[in-house]
Amino acid sequence: MSNTLSTASRPTQPGMTSCSRTQTPSQARTGKLFLTLPLGQRLPLRFVVDKRNLIVNLSLMGLLLLLTGGSLAIGSAATLSASATFEALLGQGSALDNFVVRELRLPRVVAGIVTGSAFALAGCLMQTVARNRLATPGIVGLDNGATAFAVASVIGTGISLAPPAMALTGAAVAAALTFGLTGSIGVRGYRFLVAGIGVGAVFGAITQLMLTRVSIDAANAAYPWTVGSLNARPAHAVSILSLALLPALLAAIRLTRSLTVMRLSDAVATSLGVSTSRCRLMALSVAVILTGLAVAVAGPVGMVALIGPEFARQISARNTVPVVGATLAGAIVMLAADLLGRVILAPIEVPVGIITALTGSPLLLWILLNPHTRTTP
Amino acid sequence: MTSFMNRHADSSVMGSLRACLRAATSSSPVATWGLLMILLAVIALLSLLFGAGDVGPGRAWQALSDFDAAAMHDSEAHFVIGELRLPRLGIGLVVGIALGIAGALLQAVTRNPLAEPGLLGVSAGSAFAVTLAILWGADAATLRISVAQLGALGGCLCVLAAARLQGIGNDPVRLILAGAILSGLLHSLSSLILLFDQYTADEIRFWVVGSLAGRDAADLMPLAPSLALAALLTVILARPLAALALGEHVAIGLGHHPRMVRLLVIVVVALLVGGATAIAGPVAFVGLVVPFAARALAGPDIRRTLWFCLPLGPIVVVSADIVSRLVVPPSELPLGVITALIGAPVLIAVVRRRRLPML
Amino acid sequence: MTQEAFVSAPVDDDSAPDIATQGLSLAYGNVSVIEGLELRLPAGQVTAIVGPNGCGKSTLLSGLSRLLKPCAGAVLLDGADIQRVPSRQLAKRLALLPQHPHAPEALTVAELVRFGRHPHQSWLCQWSSDDKACVDEALAMTGLTTLAERPVDALSGGQRQRAWIALAIAQQTSTLLLDEPTSALDLGHQVEVYELIRSLTAAGKTIVMVIHDLVGACRYADHLIAMHQGQILAEGPPGETVTADLVRRLYGVDCTLMTDPATGAPLLTNVRRTRDALDGSAT
Repeated sequence: MSNTLSTASRPTQPGMTSCSRTQTPSQARTGKLFLTLPLGQRLPLRFVVDKRNLIVNLSLMGLLLLLTGGSLAIGSAATLSASATFEALLGQGSALDNFVVRELRLPRVVAGIVTGSAFALAGCLMQTVARNRLATPGIVGLDNGATAFAVASVIGTGISLAPPAMALTGAAVAAALTFGLTGSIGVRGYRFLVAGIGVGAVFGAITQLMLTRVSIDAANAAYPWTVGSLNARPAHAVSILSLALLPALLAAIRLTRSLTVMRLSDAVATSLGVSTSRCRLMALSVAVILTGLAVAVAGPVGMVALIGPEFARQISARNTVPVVGATLAGAIVMLAADLLGRVILAPIEVPVGIITALTGSPLLLWILLNPHTRTTP
Repeated sequence: MTSFMNRHADSSVMGSLRACLRAATSSSPVATWGLLMILLAVIALLSLLFGAGDVGPGRAWQALSDFDAAAMHDSEAHFVIGELRLPRLGIGLVVGIALGIAGALLQAVTRNPLAEPGLLGVSAGSAFAVTLAILWGADAATLRISVAQLGALGGCLCVLAAARLQGIGNDPVRLILAGAILSGLLHSLSSLILLFDQYTADEIRFWVVGSLAGRDAADLMPLAPSLALAALLTVILARPLAALALGEHVAIGLGHHPRMVRLLVIVVVALLVGGATAIAGPVAFVGLVVPFAARALAGPDIRRTLWFCLPLGPIVVVSADIVSRLVVPPSELPLGVITALIGAPVLIAVVRRRRLPML
Repeated sequence: MTQEAFVSAPVDDDSAPDIATQGLSLAYGNVSVIEGLELRLPAGQVTAIVGPNGCGKSTLLSGLSRLLKPCAGAVLLDGADIQRVPSRQLAKRLALLPQHPHAPEALTVAELVRFGRHPHQSWLCQWSSDDKACVDEALAMTGLTTLAERPVDALSGGQRQRAWIALAIAQQTSTLLLDEPTSALDLGHQVEVYELIRSLTAAGKTIVMVIHDLVGACRYADHLIAMHQGQILAEGPPGETVTADLVRRLYGVDCTLMTDPATGAPLLTNVRRTRDALDGSAT
């Protein structure tokens, strides 16, 4: 039973219990890969990789490639075979095929991949930091804030910064309001979510306000930003988001260790040497930036930030923070939703925002109302 | 540590504010109510005097003081006041009373200070029902009212079902989240419908924004029976609701029937919210702000709260309407924008309190 | 791994950790809980901080573990202000077990204890040969080796608390701060945890625990600190510190003190409300 008495035989070197160096069987069952990069003894580089997450991420990458091919091949203009799509992609198919694949669908697919990844990564970070599966940037009002500022810039009410910068500012303002008004998140449970609804409502009202004040043409131009669509997205916004995505992902991977520890509780994490406030601030900043830039491209497709991470969490190793998995899953969800939207009611295209809202809301309700599921990620 | 500081700051400011209000009004609630009615009369007058068009306060005052004569001297003012502003005022009064009382009732029945027909998806249910109705060809005013009320009833039943679920019935905040998600879902469904039916989209676009502008006062007539029924039921249900506030078991012990009471209250809320939505479109946050103010003045008793909602509801709605006319002349802001700008801070203020008051 | 890797594993040379406070003032918002506290914690012993509800003992522990920033004064670890020590460094010398710790669903005991190695790892060096050894050592010390693969929430109260203590042991710190480690446990589990705590001291650790249970404090602590309204009323070995007068001042109850024949610790018996309280006047 208790081995407490056996410690009497150990050397009582105060402050340090001696550790034996025998390999124990418990290590074999951890499901982790221990990698060492032998760069000399002064710099031992050692990484721990979870086996299951590795397999999951590789599979998700494969699925993403498949969906990308599918999205390029299938559509209302023409449906091409795999080889025809490939040729058209390289510019060697027929003129029509080349046009359809390279000019129409490719920008759309690229936009879908980057926005899906961005939304899902932002969602994953926010949910982990808030210890709440429901903490999507959309519910917290970031989407509406970004939209309001983006619409303002499109309509040109005196401010003429490019939409990505404005959307980013909007998301940051909304975040500052929501989190500033309710103190630190993760501590007060769901309340900051309700405050976020309030902040989101204000920004939604402001957006409506702007839309009623302008001509019908300007309002139509701004319409995509209010609904969430991948149709004819501004190219420069896509480029900016693509540039931001990789550093954001790297930052998130860097934060994973601390985030995993923070799943325990703030007090324990602090005791283990994690600076919880700094970690939260960094994670939230990345989430806000990604959300702002993604809304500038596709409008508020907030539900991807729920579906993507949720999907990743279900299939990845439990008790890990699957940032890479969530990113890939988000891209997959976005592409799938876009494909569905293009195909299901052809020739009318259902915007991706509506598809994700229709599939995501029941999921969200189920998480919230099911008494048996925990709401911590 | 910041959260601790916020808590204490909250309780001192809000607490002293509320203590002041309570002291001022507890001496004579009837006097306060009288004052509110006078305030309502003043605001009603203001709504007749001010507007977005050319008829300024001076001309309006002249026309009002001698109404029949104005028909000849200043026919424009006569028209604006008689045909535009007066009906608009009437609609504002009705919508204000309906939404205010509905909000108070909903908060009492879910024992949730954050419950609000707009936030909980009741208004969204109405709007969705009306969208469907227009899609399927119905457009008569009476039909629209009944459809909206049915939609509101559906929304209420969803809310009630969610509130009874284990674990979430006790947490006011989770209920609001469920309502927000339900609203979002219904909104998306409506958007989907509007996508492939242009006619419906055109019909709906103007109405769905939530405004008192351009609404037909003739629509108030078909609404009268439902409102009368709702008023009657409210009067009957007030006492059992007050007992329900003590808890279900205590209420049963006192001889009431909580389930029946809850069901009837839901019917009243559906009648009121459906009716208001049918005329003015979905307007959010009124059902939150009005009971909040009423409770601050009247205290926790639901009966007093309902009495105070009577003047406060129209005060809020008509004031918001006046503001909507004055802010961006010559055009107008939708009412929903103003109510959101007032209501969201109230929502945040309520949610920031250390302990959400159990009703 | 290699011999070099083992030697390079961080060994903090705090042979006798010196924890002291200097004019420490702690407050929550505008409410001051502790003011100008001077304290020195004895190394290598079990110190129990006792006192009535609201006396500030948990606040003091939060201040000692850097969860709460002092509004005046400082907590000194070996002469250095802990606010200035980098988090990771501090985590290798001080471990905190908070009240009601909560483990995520389906986390196994071994996984939980592995978290304790976090301060000894970094992003570039995420594991070392010591990790496995220290985790197994911690599990052995707390008697949980056979339960290593069970989920934490499937354990009994006493076992769960021992798992959290194992996490703190794996952290390899010289000092452990425990906030009410036995409040929610029944008698058998309480004794389990107390005996584990004593064995840790025998292995050379300094333990500071905040507990409600005066009897347990008297029995298992080497050094007792009695707090009341943010001030230290008395401190010293339990046998010398605990008097009937102290108990009356802390808890407002009268008692008869005896000496436990088996352990020599003070034993409270015949606890009753004071005559003033019986008259209805405030104590």
